[in-house]
Amino acid sequence: DKSTASKDSTTEGTSKKQEGTAGTPKQKLLDIIGSMKVEVSYRKKLQELKARESKKQALNRQDGPDSEGTQRTTEDIQRGKPLNPELVKAASAVASSFPLNKKQTESELLAQLRRHEETTDKQRKGDTVNIRNVISEMTVKRQSPAQRGVRISRRISLEFDEDSQRIRPERFSSQSFDSRRSLKVGKRLNIFTKASTEPEHALKTVSSPTIWDLEFAKEIAAITAQPPRNGFEEMIWWTKEGILWEYPIDNEVGMEDDAEFHEHIFLEKHLEGFPKEGPIRHFMELVICGLSKNPYLSVKQKVEHIEWFEKYFEEKKEFLQEI
Amino acid sequence: MAAAALWWALRAARQVLPSPCPVQVRSYYVDWRMLRDVKRRKLAYEYADERLRINAIRKNSLLPKELQEVADKEIAALPRDSCPVRIRNRCVLTSRPRGVRRRWRLSRIVFRHFADHAQMSGVQRAMW
Repeated sequence: DKSTASKDSTTEGTSKKQEGTAGTPKQKLLDIIGSMKVEVSYRKKLQELKARESKKQALNRQDGPDSEGTQRTTEDIQRGKPLNPELVKAASAVASSFPLNKKQTESELLAQLRRHEETTDKQRKGDTVNIRNVISEMTVKRQSPAQRGVRISRRISLEFDEDSQRIRPERFSSQSFDSRRSLKVGKRLNIFTKASTEPEHALKTVSSPTIWDLEFAKEIAAITAQPPRNGFEEMIWWTKEGILWEYPIDNEVGMEDDAEFHEHIFLEKHLEGFPKEGPIRHFMELVICGLSKNPYLSVKQKVEHIEWFEKYFEEKKEFLQEI
Repeated sequence: MAAAALWWALRAARQVLPSPCPVQVRSYYVDWRMLRDVKRRKLAYEYADERLRINAIRKNSLLPKELQEVADKEIAALPRDSCPVRIRNRCVLTSRPRGVRRRWRLSRIVFRHFADHAQMSGVQRAMW
């Protein structure tokens, strides 16, 4: 009766929902799924109610103890590992000592024993988390009253500077705390399972972001970029755009020459493609002399310079031999 | 100079940062002569290395004269707008070819206009 009543209520609910919504097939599906969920939860409640009723009936009956005891022992044997007979006897003795509801207490004690056995088995296997291991690594943080006052004052004041950077002393305190307790010391607790690194779907169906995506990104950027409220923000914006230099002025901005001085000056090794004597060699030695004194070109550019001349003279080789 | 280089790099990469306030952007050059001047500048930049190298062959006394004559013909074959001599430093705002102060790239009239309205940093009317 109760289950039918519940189903009626849920169907009424779903019909109401359907009337309310537009009635598209997708929404109907969603409603059905929602109603299914509702039924399951109600079913669980029904099961609980039934279990409670059965328990009450078991309490109320108190018929022949032998038959019930045999039933229970068979149940015990059916569930997993059989308990120690001595423990069972002890449990029955304890239950008998209780004034009321001997059978109830006996069953509850046996259930508790079973749970205890399960936990011990798990601990032997090492599945559960041993709280001792967790607590052993933890230490109590002690705040001195002077530091506490400073910290409260810090919290009250602004967290961020104008440049959106945290105030430095906080960083130092956290660093000092980390130095006392390093992260990699101690036994592994195995509380968290390693997140399975899914193969990143780098290649989407569209190889490069479409024009619409770019436009959308530009739109978002344009909306989020608010006009500068004061001169400082204006200067920040100009620095980002490149209109304003970054202070303190770095003379080598944009120049990333990692080559050593000897690569700039001793360029004779690039002259291997040229003849060893003659006017061309003389000319190229002058070119190299000039390049070695040039501080404005990078090594790559100098090498390209020499290679251009090599290519040029290669092309003119036949013409030169006629002369 | 570094800032200018950075600025041009940004432009070349076509990464236009969204400006917080709508900036007036000039989408046309002042006149056609300015446009032609811009084209000449671009070409001169592209062919600068080649012109330098061919001139280096032409202007020395070590290499044989025949080679230098060939180099002469080669440099003459390059596009006419690639030589830097054809660039004229026009005023950036009015495209005036004469009376342009190189430091500000402005003609004398525009310079005076801005200086009188106190929009030129560090420029003052002379009095002595």
